[in-house]
Amino acid sequence: MICCLAVLLPAAAFAQPVVKPWDAVLIASFNIQVFGESKLAKPQVVEVLARVVRKFDIVAIQEVRAKSDDIIPRFVQAVNADGSRYHYLIGPREGRTSSKEQYVFVYDTTRVEVDAASAGVFPDPSDRLHRPPMCARFRTRIMPAQAAFSFWLVNTHTDPDEVPQELAALTDVFLGMQSARPDEDDVILLGDMNAGPPEFKSYQRIPGVGWAVSGATTNTRRTKTYDNLVFARPATSEYLGVWGVLDLQSTFGLPLDNALEVSDHNPVWAAFHPCEIGGPQTIPLASQPTTIR
Amino acid sequence: MTDSSPAEIHDLARQLTAADPAVRRAAAERLCRSGPAAAAAALPLVRACGDADEGVREQAVAALEELGAPPSEALAGLIEAVAAADPLVAYWAITLLGRSGEAAAAGVTALARQLAPGTDPAVAQRAAWALGRIGSAARAAAGALREAASSSDPRLARLAQEALSAVGE
Repeated sequence: MICCLAVLLPAAAFAQPVVKPWDAVLIASFNIQVFGESKLAKPQVVEVLARVVRKFDIVAIQEVRAKSDDIIPRFVQAVNADGSRYHYLIGPREGRTSSKEQYVFVYDTTRVEVDAASAGVFPDPSDRLHRPPMCARFRTRIMPAQAAFSFWLVNTHTDPDEVPQELAALTDVFLGMQSARPDEDDVILLGDMNAGPPEFKSYQRIPGVGWAVSGATTNTRRTKTYDNLVFARPATSEYLGVWGVLDLQSTFGLPLDNALEVSDHNPVWAAFHPCEIGGPQTIPLASQPTTIR
Repeated sequence: MTDSSPAEIHDLARQLTAADPAVRRAAAERLCRSGPAAAAAALPLVRACGDADEGVREQAVAALEELGAPPSEALAGLIEAVAAADPLVAYWAITLLGRSGEAAAAGVTALARQLAPGTDPAVAQRAAWALGRIGSAARAAAGALREAASSSDPRLARLAQEALSAVGE
């Protein structure tokens, strides 16, 4: 499986359509800090962001901050400028103050499909989460529908001042999503947790919990582990044990200043089998990230 | 802008009050990319949350989310800003005081006032949270916290209850 993923590796792929593996679906999370008009007005930044998206089948984006509704449509147009066929799902503006954020899923329609009716914000009647997560159910299109891997994605961005409380609330969200549909046991919580695995104590309430990113930094300054993909390993046995942090500096040859213009976070990703796997499997966790260039 | 010098941060902070919104926006954006070094501009960034320009406000908020606790010399100005008429300014002043913990004890009275009924809900909730972070030094706010703990706003009630425990009540 890792050999097939290697088709993504050549850096020269920038100018050509990205060739994705037939035997893996690549799911990423990317906090694009203050993604709004200012960022979209910088062609060099948009180009990097578009190249990032094209490497993956689905990108869960956090921190869209704009009064305008056309930021993401214009961005997806830029992504598709090379002939790609991405589409998006965007959530409502969320936040307790007048400063709001939106969650977005951008996905490759040739590789995955979404049940649009399933998309929504997880209810938070007790107001435990500053920006309650956006959920949507996807299914791979690489395999016949009856065999295709389907899964919930739960897109989140925690409040950095209430991380332990929000991780506890997200654990309840995860458990709630696991029982949201009797025919869906795969839940992948992904986003900017503002916390790394040592702070994931609440997640231990999820039976068999695992996460992709471990022992690697995820912010652009390479000092913190904030972003991750969390899932229950017995249920989501489709996880291939392959993950990575797409380092903006080294991937695109950017000095730190320019990489920070793109975002203060690097994208993180994990690879999953495109077929639904019925029973639990034992796949070892990768202790080292894989590099996508 | 990756490892900004104190002089550069000072200069950017000054530009946050420029007449030209484009200059203010650029300064806020550069501070947003400055990481923890932007803490030296904590108070000007809080004030920038009340800017008339949306772009300035959004960059200021993003910078404040990441900069951690403010320097001690900013505390007096932040305490003053707790009572700001603009809820976003008050919210971020309160947040930075909460991050300062016990060092923000001088702000307890100002914070307790924001628990009063009629206060912007996000501001009141953050004030309860900040008092909890200040801990036992916020005991003088116990009365206001008890009242807030019976609020019909479930989040305010919960945070006030947690703060009461933190102050030792």
